[in-house]
This record gives sequence, structure tokens and C-alpha cells, in this order.
Amino acid sequence: MEEIQKLKQELKKVNAEYAGIRDIPAEERAEFGRKINQRKQEILAKIVEAEKAALDTDAEPIDITAPTAPNEPLPELYPQNQGSLHPLMTELDRVTEIYQMMGFDVVEARQLDDEYHMFDSLNFAKEHPARDGYDTFRTEEGLIPPAHTSTMQHRVLKAYKDKLEKGENIAVVVPGRVYRNEDVDATHEHTFYQCEGVYVSCDCTMGQMLGILREFFEKYYEQKLNIRTQPGYFPFTEPSLEFMIEKPKSLGGKKGDFLEMLGCGMIHPNVLKMAGIDPTKYHGFAWGGGIDRLVMLRYGLKDVRYFESGNLNFLKEF
Amino acid sequence: MKISVNELRDITTIPVSNEELIRLIGARLVEVEGVIDETHKYDNIYIVRVEKAEKIPDTHLTLCQINVGNKDIKGVEKNADGLVQVVCGAPNVREGMLAVWIAPGAVVPASVHEDVPFVIGKRKMLGKYESNGMLAGADELDFDDKHEKIAEIDPNDGMDPKPGDEFADIFELKDLILEIENKSLTHRPDCFGVEGFAREVAGILGDYYGGYNHFYSATKPDNKVKIEIDENICSRYTAIVLEKHGELKKKYLTWRDVFLSKSGMRPVDPIVDATNFWMLQTGQPLHAFDYDKFVAIGGKDKPEIKVRLARKGEKLVLLDDKEIELNENDIVICSCDTPVALAGAMGGKSTMIDENTKNIILESATFSLYNLRKTQMAHGIFSEAITRFTKGQPAYQTLGVAECCAEGLSDGFKVVSVSDAYPNPTKEIVVKVTTDEINSLLGTNYDEKLIITTLENVEFEIKSSNGELEIRVPDWRMDIHIKEDIIEEVGRLLGYDNIPPVLPLHQTAEPNKMLKLKKQIRDIMRRFGANEMLTYSFVSGKLLERSSQDTKNSYKIVNSISPELQYIRQSIVPSLLEKAYMNQKIPFDKFAIFEINKVYQKEWGMDEEDVPVERMQMGFVIAERKNKTTAYYKAKKYVEELLSELNIKVAFKILKDTSAASKPFEKKRSAEIVTEDGVIIGVVGEFKNSVRQNFKLDEYLAGFELNLDEILKRANQRKEIYFGEVEKRDLTVKTTKTYGELIEKINKTLAKNNLVAEITPLAIYQPGDAKEKSISVHLEFRQKIDGEIMQELEAL
Repeated sequence: MEEIQKLKQELKKVNAEYAGIRDIPAEERAEFGRKINQRKQEILAKIVEAEKAALDTDAEPIDITAPTAPNEPLPELYPQNQGSLHPLMTELDRVTEIYQMMGFDVVEARQLDDEYHMFDSLNFAKEHPARDGYDTFRTEEGLIPPAHTSTMQHRVLKAYKDKLEKGENIAVVVPGRVYRNEDVDATHEHTFYQCEGVYVSCDCTMGQMLGILREFFEKYYEQKLNIRTQPGYFPFTEPSLEFMIEKPKSLGGKKGDFLEMLGCGMIHPNVLKMAGIDPTKYHGFAWGGGIDRLVMLRYGLKDVRYFESGNLNFLKEF
Repeated sequence: MKISVNELRDITTIPVSNEELIRLIGARLVEVEGVIDETHKYDNIYIVRVEKAEKIPDTHLTLCQINVGNKDIKGVEKNADGLVQVVCGAPNVREGMLAVWIAPGAVVPASVHEDVPFVIGKRKMLGKYESNGMLAGADELDFDDKHEKIAEIDPNDGMDPKPGDEFADIFELKDLILEIENKSLTHRPDCFGVEGFAREVAGILGDYYGGYNHFYSATKPDNKVKIEIDENICSRYTAIVLEKHGELKKKYLTWRDVFLSKSGMRPVDPIVDATNFWMLQTGQPLHAFDYDKFVAIGGKDKPEIKVRLARKGEKLVLLDDKEIELNENDIVICSCDTPVALAGAMGGKSTMIDENTKNIILESATFSLYNLRKTQMAHGIFSEAITRFTKGQPAYQTLGVAECCAEGLSDGFKVVSVSDAYPNPTKEIVVKVTTDEINSLLGTNYDEKLIITTLENVEFEIKSSNGELEIRVPDWRMDIHIKEDIIEEVGRLLGYDNIPPVLPLHQTAEPNKMLKLKKQIRDIMRRFGANEMLTYSFVSGKLLERSSQDTKNSYKIVNSISPELQYIRQSIVPSLLEKAYMNQKIPFDKFAIFEINKVYQKEWGMDEEDVPVERMQMGFVIAERKNKTTAYYKAKKYVEELLSELNIKVAFKILKDTSAASKPFEKKRSAEIVTEDGVIIGVVGEFKNSVRQNFKLDEYLAGFELNLDEILKRANQRKEIYFGEVEKRDLTVKTTKTYGELIEKINKTLAKNNLVAEITPLAIYQPGDAKEKSISVHLEFRQKIDGEIMQELEAL
């Protein structure tokens, strides 16, 4: 408190000095005013700081070991029916559960990574224009909040390659949060969720990839689906495809209404090689797609911005 | 990129409907973003002949009588000679010309995409001259932006236009324009020319159309112009010098104007149009310099072309009059050593061709796509040319394309010299692959013949022996190097949809323990009436400051969308405080919110992979309005109950921890949560008054932050199951000690007597002026007890 008093005294003095501006020659007034004002602002900022500190010292200590304060009732939890789970997290669990049923391990993705994992290890040539397509954010250190869950491919391949030597396959999915420098609107978020799949064996085929993906989507939407593909381009897969499903009738789809669900392809031999896997002995396939879109379709949501809004009106619906 | 379906049908044979064609292009070549249907854009627009043209005195207008053939338009009267009257304001209208007539009731094509398309009518001009419809300019027909004159049709055009013919039939305008997603062709420079695109279309239709144009050249360059290139940035540079010998006439509306416009470009002048036309055809961008200006800048009597990297501080005024400062990555074309063009991006003002141009240097070259990509970003130039160059145009066709363009200008210009710097011609690429390898990667059963035909359709040259294919890659396929590339071609051209989906068999999966823990926590919290939330990983510097966290400990995004999203958060709780304010305003009077997510702090440093250490944390905030009790205890209740469900024993100790997660918490009203093995796994408590006020939250406010990595190590240990007898007692003790100290004493006393009891609190009572408080607890003994122990306890 003393300090605040002192600062206030000082402020008064400065204000008094300012009154003397009339005695200053006209051409020096601006400079004089500027200096006084600067000092005034400094003192005001200090007062704010000191008041904040005083506010915090005002806090009364309590017995932190106790279950409650003297004479107060014991606290109770809120009723169960007030609780809710975030739909994205619930659905991400469902997604990983389906893949686990199909024999896939689950590894969660990092949320801050480096250029090597995001691009180099995925066969993106240095400075290649394909890097632009990802609209990545960067930190001052050049780190990247990943723009796709493929940022984990190299790690997964390295971590699991022992399995191949034991005669088993690599089968892993990687759910994670990803980031793109995009303008936000009803269908675009700068922050969203993806799930990556990585599969490597000595005899895997593109037919198997299509089989696994169809199986997953049929399990997820709990019905038979029509699937379709179109050629795509990713430096880390060869061949590369976009995978689409026909929007189910039960979710408001019409015939011929195909939705792009994910990108996929056979893992590029360079990507396997970089992870220490011999591409002449083993082949693999990988895919990655957005979770938000999957969930929006399932719940009939029209605006992706609800997910990170933190609005309880929305969240309590789930 | 825009591609006209009619153009494709002109180049190659397409035996399927437009609908099927578009489906197949999507399934086997490239993403079609949209389709512009121009089938009816030119309805009710006709070729007419101006039979009479009389100037209306004291105006710029001409009264025309036009021959519309045998067309009868509703409401349009013909005079005795069968002619229709139209008033025209264009300077070039004259008797005998073939023009384009927009009949009354027709929509002006340039306005079809406007909100209210402009429908032409019949009206009286100057109060007495009836005008039926209009004679259209190229701008109204949507082929040009300049409004100068009406379009004139060449009577000798191959389509033999006559009055009354539908304009759309003469110029093949009933068309679909495909909007191609450029990003999905990043690796296919050849498809950025209609010729290459059409070849692929034939390929996906399983057909070979023999008439492809290739742009090889047999010309032996005389190399009269000295060209100096740096091979790292320019693998080939061709320059053809042309000399003017006549006027390039630009009298008629041509199919070239139509083609440019369908491709999304506009006519500029005959020379530029020719270069643009050949770029759209072949994917190879061209540029024309004014020869004499070029030579004058160099200061010698002959042109000397030099391609080099720009030097720091050099400046260049571009064609669009903008002066740019070049950087050391930009490639420049120099006359001797003076930059005159930004290679691949835009020509320079100083060598621009104009109506006085006598001689031309026609440039056709390839540049490093990596440099051009940076140039594109640095100077914000997104021209059709640089879009093509940044896909990596092949070097094989520069000379051939330049010659085609020169030929197209031959009415006005003749070739004087051909120079070509191409020191290291691209080597031919041969890839070997077996049919087995193809089928075993795709999961198909294609026979060798089908595979060979499919590849030959798009002009791969193949030698086969015993199932092994030796494949010579066409010069325009810069993307094919390894067998997987060939396998992709086969799979794609034959349709991935024809690959039968099957399921592989493999081993079972290992459960992910963290995922299981998170699910367990989320379910528990929901049962406790709490609401799960997701908030952004990116926060503002303000949010960190409001939470007493140091912005220097956060990784900072250099290209953030806004200051609100500039830092990576250090803990979860601050984000929840922000959301608590929003929800209190909605209003929600009481709620408990939580989020589980990864966080990063600079002070944690790097892990063994040299990427930042990350932690999985859970944040929780409880906020109520108009509650005068102590919020701390409710937050503590939540964390105690949660940890007890996870079977983790902890103690609540005075908060000394100064880590970022603890910073928003008030030390006098918060505790650190410590495990039996002495590890701090979190913090629980109320927030500093200043923090609470910063977030404008009501007084009843508390929360906790937990480190889930540490919790995972300890959660769900086996619990001892007790089935034996239980004796229950209540105990009230008067004390000045803290609750924790009292419990510790009770436990010590019990231990001394070889007893174990579970202790739960009942009440704490303290009359207003008393120093002592009465603490009542409930004891459940796991064995028989006698009265003595209770007396001993009461005496504590």
C-alpha cells in the first residue's frame, strides 16, 4: 500500500510540473509535453502493477489440506446429467477402436514438430512447391505445428520396423491435431483433427488398402457404402489417390453425391528407405484424412467452428 | 486452369458422353473443381450481314439494315427487303461486313454470370429510330475486355458463315468448361497444355489417338545471338529473332480469341496473343522482347542474352509498370548485363513490344522451378506463365514451340536467326518393371498386353521380354523415374476403381495405455457432471500475461493468423478461463469444464529426437455465480475423486511449485498434488485475484492442472480387495491444527495400535471467536476395536 501511495504522490508531482508548460518557450513545448507524458504513463503502469500485487496479497490463506472451510458444508460434485463429452473426442475414440478391432496399434501424433518429419522424411524435395500446399505455421525456431498427421509416418516406420523382421506387419493408426494457416469459415478451421494409417508388409497391395478403407468406413457409418477413388499427388506415396464415399442416404445423401474422405497411396520407396526399411522386400500403404468432416457428416453439423468454440450450449448436446 | 471440352473433342476422339468424360477425368486424371456450362450462353445470337449502313447526322450512330437470313425472331419486324433495322454506335460498322447480332430477348453473353443478366430488347433511339437487338462487340460476347468496335466475322472462315447461322455453331461455343484443380497436377507440367491434357484423356479412355502434335524440331540453330546461361537455373534457352515485313492484321474475330477466352485469358495484341496461344496449347510459356530496345540497352550492335541470378539491390520495372526490388534468388534475363525481364514471371517495361516494334526476340526457355517458386512468393506474381514454369516444364520442346509461334506470326514477321543454348540435353529415362511387380503392388491381374497397350496409349515406348518391360519414358513426363511411377500409371489409367478391395490378415493390436487412460478420465469427469471442451493450441500473448505466464516460455508462431493465435500454450487452464468467461456471459451459472491436450514449454527443452518435449495435460476449471463458499474445496473434491477412481494416492501440500502451469494459481489458496513417491503431478486451487479479475470472472472460481504422463505411470495399480468385517465410528476432535496434520496424527495413532481405518470427513465447525475448530470424521476400521482406541483418538 505504501508503494502505491508513493507512486500516487509522484504522479501528482508530474501533473504539477505539466502545469508549468505555459512558462516553456512555444517551440520546446511539444518535446516537454512528450517527456512529461512518457513519465506519467510509466508511473501509471507501475500503479497498475502495484495494485495487482496488492490485490493478490489481499488473498486470505486457507487450510489446503481440509475437505472444506470451517462452517461450510462439504462440497459435492455436480449431477451426472450435467456432464458431457466432446463429440470429436468421442468419435476419435470410435475411429481408433474400429482400427484396433482391425488389428491396428494406435500412436498419437505430436502437435509441434520439425521440418524433417513434416516434409524431408516424406520425400518432399527441398523447396518443392508441394510444400506450399500445406499452408504451414512456423515458430521462430523454424518448428512446425504439423499440417498433417503424416508427420508421424517416419517415426512409426522406424519404431515398428522390428516387426517386419519378425515376420509380422506394421499396422498403425495415428490420430492427432493438425494446423493450417487458413481463413476460418463454416467448412475450414485452422485447427482440426486427422487420423493417419500406416501399413507395411512383404506382400501388401493397393487392393488391400482399398479393402481396409472400405471396411473402416462401413464400420464407422454402420452400413454398406459405395466407394470411389481419384488420382491424387503426394510426394510420399506412389501411386497416390483420393478416397471417396457416396454420402449415405440415411445422412441426407443423393445418388452420385461423393465425398472426399482422405488421401492415400502406396508408400514411396524413398520414405521406406529413409526409415531403414528395404523397399525391394517390403511394400506399404498409408492414408490420412480429417476427423472433423467425418463427425460433421455423422451428426449433420453444418459449421466446423462449433468444435473449438467452447460454447456449453453446443457441448451439452453431446 | 480451364479446359474446354469442345477443344478436347477437337484434338482427340472421345466416344463417351460429357457426363462420363468428366467422371473419368475425375477418377483417372485430375480433380475437376467445377464445370461451367456454356451450352446456352450464346443462344439467339446470329451471324448477320450489314446490307445498308447510313450515318445518322450529328451523332456517332449508324442506322443499319441487316440480313438475318431466314431467321424469324418473335416481335422483330423485317422491312420489305426482308432486312432488320439496328442502330449501331461502333466506328467500324460498314456495308457488306459479316457481324454478330444479339437478337431481342437474348442475354448479353458477358453478363450471364452477373446477378441480373442483361437481356437485350427492342427500343427507339433518339425518339424515332427503332433498333432491334444489337450488333455485338467482342467484349459483349465475352471474348475481350476492350470496348472499341463490333466484332467482324471472316467470310472466308472454314466454317463458311452465312447470315442466319447460329454464332455458337460457327465457333463451337456450345461447350463445357472444366475448372481443373491445379494443385492436383503439381507433378504434371505436360497437362498444363491442351495437347498434353487431350493425350491423357485418350489414355484414360483406353485409346490412342495418332494425331498428337509433338514439338521436336529438326532445325539446326545458327546461334547468331550469343546466349549465356547458368545451367543451375536455366537448362535451356532458345531465342528466335524475327523481322517485320508486313502488318499483322487484326480485323476479324478468330477462333484463337475464342480459345484464349475459354482458357480464361484475353486478347492483348497479335504478338502476345500468339505467345499465349502456344503456351496454352503446349504448356511452354513464351515471351517476346522488342529486339531494338533490347540491343540498345545492351549497348552493343548485336543482342547478347545472359540468364543469371539477380544481384542484391538491383531493380526492375515490369510490364505492369511496377518497380520491384530483386533478390538474390530471382532469375533475370539480361541484355548484356542489364536485367530486362524477371525470368518466368513477367517481362520488363524497357523491352516491351509496342505498335512501333520492328524486330522481335522470341524467348522459349526452362527455368529452375525452385527459384521461380520463391520469386512467385516474394513478388506476388501468379501469372499463367509462372504457374506452368513452377511445375517444371520439360526442356525438349522449347525450340519446337518457339518455331510454331514464329510460324503463326509469319503474316507480319519472318525468322532471321535461331539460337539455342542447350548444353546438356535431358537424358532419356528408361524404367524396368515386370508385370508381376505391377500386379502384386496393385492387387490386380492385368495381362501383359493390356498393360503395354495402356502405357503405349500415352506414348511410352515399350520393349518386353519374358514379362519384363523396358519402358522408355516420353520426354514430357518429368515425373516418372522409378517402377512405382509406372505402376501408378497403369493403376490410374485403367482405373483404381477396378482394383478389387480385399482385407489382409495380420496380427492383433497392442492397446494404447494413454488413450485408455484419457478415455477413462473423460468418462469419470462426465459422470462427475463436468463438460469436456477443446480449445485452440494457439493463444494470444495477452492470454498468457493475464494468466501470469511468461510469453518468453512459449513457442511463438511467426506467421500467425492473428495476434490472438500467436503463441503455443504452456498449459490448459488459461484457455479454459477464457471460455469460462464466455459461458458465464451466456449465461451459465455453474459449470465445471475440462480439456485434455498436449502442451509445450520452451524451458522443457528438446527430446532425444531434437524436437520440443511435449506433455499431455488435463486442465479443469469450475466457476459459479453467487456462491459465497470456498471454491478451492470443490476443485479439490473433483481432483481427489478422480485420482481415487484411478487408484492414485496423493497428498495436498503448500504450493511451492513455480512452473508455468502453477503461475495463475494463488499460493495461499492452492496446493500442489504430490504422489506417495514424492512427485508433483499437478496443482489445484483458486486463482490469483488479479488473474480472476483479468478474466472478468465471478469470485467462486477454482481449477486444477494435471500431468497425465506422470499419472499414467501410476494409474490403475492393482487394488487390494477387502471382504472382512468393518467397524464404523464417528470422531470429533477440537484442534488448532490443520485438517491434514490431524489426519496424520490419527493415522500414526492407529498404526501404533496396529489398526487401519478409512477416514472420511464429516464437518468442520468453528464458532466466530474461537481459536479451535471441531473436526468431525467418520472412521471405518478393518478389524474389531475396543473403546480405548476411540478415547485415545478423541484426546488428540
